[in-house]
Amino acid sequence: MTEKSLFKTATIGLTGAWLGFFVLIPNVMILATSFLQRDEAAFVRLDFTLENYRRILDPVYLQVFGHSAAMALVATMVCLALGYPFAYALARTRPGLRHLLLLLVIIPFWTNSLIRTYAIRSLLATQGVLNKLLLFTGIIDEPLRLLYTGTAVTIGLVYILFPFMVLPLFAVIEKLDTRLLEASADLGAGRFQTFVRVIIPLTMPGIIAGGLLVFLPALGMFYVSDLLGGAKDLLIGNFIKNQFLDARDWPFGAAASVTMTLIMALMLIAYFFSIRKIGKKEIR
Amino acid sequence: MNRILFKIAVPAVFILLSLCIASIAAAKQEVYFYNWSEYLPEEVIRQFTKETGIKVIYTTYDSNEAMYAKIRLLDGKGYDLVVPSGYFVNKMGREGLLREIDKSRLNNFKNLDAQHTDRPFDPGNRYSIPYLWGSTGIIVNSAEIDPETVRSWADLWKPEFKGKVLLLNDVRDVFFMSLRVLGLSGNTTNPDEIQQAYDKLVQLMPNVRLFNSDTPRVPYITGEVSIGQIWNGEAFMAAEENEKFVYIYPTEGAILWMDNLVIPKRAENVDNAHALIDFLLRPDIARAICEEIGYASPNREAVKLLDKDIRNNRTIYPTKEDLAGADFQVDIGEAIVIYESWWEKLKTGR
Repeated sequence: MTEKSLFKTATIGLTGAWLGFFVLIPNVMILATSFLQRDEAAFVRLDFTLENYRRILDPVYLQVFGHSAAMALVATMVCLALGYPFAYALARTRPGLRHLLLLLVIIPFWTNSLIRTYAIRSLLATQGVLNKLLLFTGIIDEPLRLLYTGTAVTIGLVYILFPFMVLPLFAVIEKLDTRLLEASADLGAGRFQTFVRVIIPLTMPGIIAGGLLVFLPALGMFYVSDLLGGAKDLLIGNFIKNQFLDARDWPFGAAASVTMTLIMALMLIAYFFSIRKIGKKEIR
Repeated sequence: MNRILFKIAVPAVFILLSLCIASIAAAKQEVYFYNWSEYLPEEVIRQFTKETGIKVIYTTYDSNEAMYAKIRLLDGKGYDLVVPSGYFVNKMGREGLLREIDKSRLNNFKNLDAQHTDRPFDPGNRYSIPYLWGSTGIIVNSAEIDPETVRSWADLWKPEFKGKVLLLNDVRDVFFMSLRVLGLSGNTTNPDEIQQAYDKLVQLMPNVRLFNSDTPRVPYITGEVSIGQIWNGEAFMAAEENEKFVYIYPTEGAILWMDNLVIPKRAENVDNAHALIDFLLRPDIARAICEEIGYASPNREAVKLLDKDIRNNRTIYPTKEDLAGADFQVDIGEAIVIYESWWEKLKTGR
């Protein structure tokens, strides 16, 4: 008994210490830095200021945030459009095949996403696999300029984040009670009406969860923009990296990072509220 | 419980102990060399270790800023030899991050060409020893664009190069070019002039396919872009791979730099660092580096040994006319923040 509780204390203590040391302390440091001033020699000077947050509201930087959010939103929408039918089909296939398909969705995770981004680069290149194939089959006469465009960044983000959309969708669709669909049909709803008024509301938690899981990381994946977009489409992640490395403006980079965390937190709170609302509706 | 603890603790102690012993044993004969990527042939490192028994722990960076941030964070500790550009030697020396170099221990210092020593960024070579120098200019794929029609930085703005231009992913290199096109100093700290350079660059953006400072020759070789900025060494390597690549010194003036060997303030293997510097200054070694990497050596004796083709290659060793109007980058201090904010805007404002 004591051994068990000691073990419990030890594991919880270890996890707590780990989180405190590697999550809490760095975040508190970033939060603190965001209220300090830039210093050419020592990175930060111990002078309190709100200037960094005021600068984020500067149109130049709002544009960076807006552009990044737009890119992430497009990636999320594409993931949803592709992921929803896929997850639906997945949930309706027979168990043996389903597990195989799920495994296929997850396998790419076993390879580092940076390496997969390089792989996409050689697929999309002017003399890459895709262009060679299209030229060979005579579909196009001139190679497509795909690499180093906004489209390439979207393709990269969608590819890397696709499983994060599929898995939560699959989880809710699998649990979907088919009797409700039958009831809907019995009450005279057509397929479209059933889909819009029954299936979508019931799977909304999965849609929102998947959306957040794609949207939030998409804001920060600076290497996708660097490698596939030719460093032209700045994501918030690029912006933060530039502030820390190139401009050596740590307080400003920290302020941007805190702002991004806040946006994420707000969206998660909104998510929990919407889930509760949906849950209540169901009971009624 | 005790048994569990015992099972975990004993191996942990052993691992820690063996790590300590390993590091003590190794500490005697090693040197931590932090250099630009693709800036030193592996063969040279191997030969150094073979001759001296000193192990080289070699790591790389791709911008002065990244290197500086690391040295600054570690407060001049952790690396024994680093290779900042001239304007960063100036900055780091001023901030007390560098250790004075004992030139009496460098038998090969005399091999350096006097025109490359005692430069304004480090008078008397107190902190730095020239390693390689080079320029940023224009590369043209002659299979697609007639190199005769490209003379100046301003030519990159031509509408027919839409989506075909590469710029280095370096705020200073890009703004330097734009400032020179406007006839201004590439090292300006005047906010109005920086803004003018930004306005000029906005007009260039439709032509820009990508920004790259990693291995900029690759997008040219794979055919993604046909014209743009490049370092002369990368242009040399591209031309080695395919003769169709031509390097051009723009009439407004190429961007020049000199990279220098320095020892950080709190380096732990100072003797080995000096040994490595002296080794790199040896004519046969400096020659091997130049011939492989394609940047110019400041080493007079090494230049004498060079293959004739290399010595007369204008991509590596420009003539006086090539360098008309060319200028070195200097430290611009706080003005970097102004540059950086326009740089962010340039990359998103479309």
